[in-house]
Amino acid sequence: MTPQKSIWEKLQEIDRRILYLILAIAVTVPLWIPAKLPVIPDSTSMDLYGQLMSVPEDKTVFVQSDWTVSTRGESQGHLEALLRILMARRIKFVIYAAADPQAPQVFRNVILGLNQEREARGLPPYRQWEDYIDLGAFLNAEGTLNSIGQDVRKLFGPRRSADTEGRERPVLESPVLSRVQKIGDAGLYVVVTASATIDVAVQRISGKTKLAAMTTGVVFPSVLPFYQSGQVVGAAGGLKGVYDMEFLMANGVNVVSPTGKVEAQFPAKAELTAPPLTEIEPKTVTFARGQRYFLSFHAAIVLLIIAVVVGNIGMYKMRKNRRGA
Amino acid sequence: MNPETYLLIKLTFGVLATIGLYSVLYKETKLYRFFEHVFLGLAAGFSIVFLWRETLFPLWWEKMVGQIDEQSGALVQPAYWAYIVFLPIGLMAYTVFSKKNGWMSRVPIGVILGLWAGQQVQVWWQTYGGQIAGTMQPVIPTGLAGPAGTFQWTKPGNTGLTPEQIADFNTKIWPSQAVNNLIFVITVLAALSYFLFSFELKGKAMIGFNKLGRWLLMIGFGAIFGSTVMARFALVIDRMSFVFVEWVQSIQAVFNRGA
Repeated sequence: MTPQKSIWEKLQEIDRRILYLILAIAVTVPLWIPAKLPVIPDSTSMDLYGQLMSVPEDKTVFVQSDWTVSTRGESQGHLEALLRILMARRIKFVIYAAADPQAPQVFRNVILGLNQEREARGLPPYRQWEDYIDLGAFLNAEGTLNSIGQDVRKLFGPRRSADTEGRERPVLESPVLSRVQKIGDAGLYVVVTASATIDVAVQRISGKTKLAAMTTGVVFPSVLPFYQSGQVVGAAGGLKGVYDMEFLMANGVNVVSPTGKVEAQFPAKAELTAPPLTEIEPKTVTFARGQRYFLSFHAAIVLLIIAVVVGNIGMYKMRKNRRGA
Repeated sequence: MNPETYLLIKLTFGVLATIGLYSVLYKETKLYRFFEHVFLGLAAGFSIVFLWRETLFPLWWEKMVGQIDEQSGALVQPAYWAYIVFLPIGLMAYTVFSKKNGWMSRVPIGVILGLWAGQQVQVWWQTYGGQIAGTMQPVIPTGLAGPAGTFQWTKPGNTGLTPEQIADFNTKIWPSQAVNNLIFVITVLAALSYFLFSFELKGKAMIGFNKLGRWLLMIGFGAIFGSTVMARFALVIDRMSFVFVEWVQSIQAVFNRGA
């Protein structure tokens, strides 16, 4: 007669497909629960928000968007937050991909969605040529960023876009790029990426312009040394970065209210002051993608911790039993 | 077709593809294989068209044959026929499939390697120069007293301070900052000491410091791994949101329009 298995042994033998199912349920159910969790933004995100809020209105922001739907869970939230800030401040931007041919269609969808959101709220949409320029993709990160660092007008020169009257014209004649002579004229250079293109950007253009990063959680640890050394002036990483940006858009950093009280005070970043976005409807940023996913995110982490603890206890008990037998 | 219905059809294809690809978690099914091949085929086809439209056409073809404004007929860019030289060099890469002429593929590879190697000094310095400079951190606190003259552990907040005081406080190293910097410097030195292979480490202090470096490296790797796992969770959450929130809302929108 075989000895009866202990609860720990049974737990060790759970089919992995049951664990996948539990994970799927654990992350899906909280998506329907609109709960806000108290989280303090990272200093990297606060610096990024501060930099975005201090870009002069006559400067163009360069956005390098190197992600596709495979990392939509993190990168779309990053790009949405970035573009919402730029659109709310009426800052012109130029957007392109430097790694993946599928990336332009993905950022075009984001711009389309944000414009629909603006129109629904009675705000003017962001228009190609006047407010932003979509340059598509340049399919070699090293070569592209090297060219941007050396002579941005030479790289962008051959690209053409329809102006407000529908006439195809060189993009350098557009209000977005007409004042940009070199990369140093950019208000900020933001790399939204799911790959190592942020490393390439540091290698090719850091020191020539202010560089900021919005990366997936996988890439973020490699960005931190660049942030610590000042090569990157601000960074948002992973889903936490999305949450941070949404929180900062709604609350600002160390803002003094008309009553003299400091709202959203962060002593760790006492030197930084950045107001919340006034144009944004609070609902849009206080329960956008980052906050919608955050409870699910915590449910997944709790499940993982329980699984690791139970698994280790089970393994310890089983080994002890074997030694005893 | 109204936009709601179009969106629902689009999202339904996405949902089917998501279920197909996630079916591998159950076991490797034909459904998974089908969607895997659909994705690979789409990506390859898309990349070829995109390579021509976004790179080869504007950066090579148009420069080679010149450009004329279609509306005014004016010359926008003269033709530089010298660009033709890139075609045979590029095509040489494909001789790698021939045993007899395979040596020719080394020409474009050599050109790329030469260009790449020539840039590496600048690339190395741009990557690590800033980090080396950033490692030189002050570890002795220079600011101890706050605006009221009492001991201050962290940098005082800006509220109620004059611009001169803020500027003065910003230049000082506060105790908490000094401790942080000290931890940072010790971590860098300990981690570097772990990679000293040129001579045998002797003495308890050196061996202990080396061991500390190994521990700190492990903690660092653990943090990186944790961040990677969290990133994967974010992707699963987004897929679940796509299927159970966006798709469901799209169905609701179509039904609401119909009603």
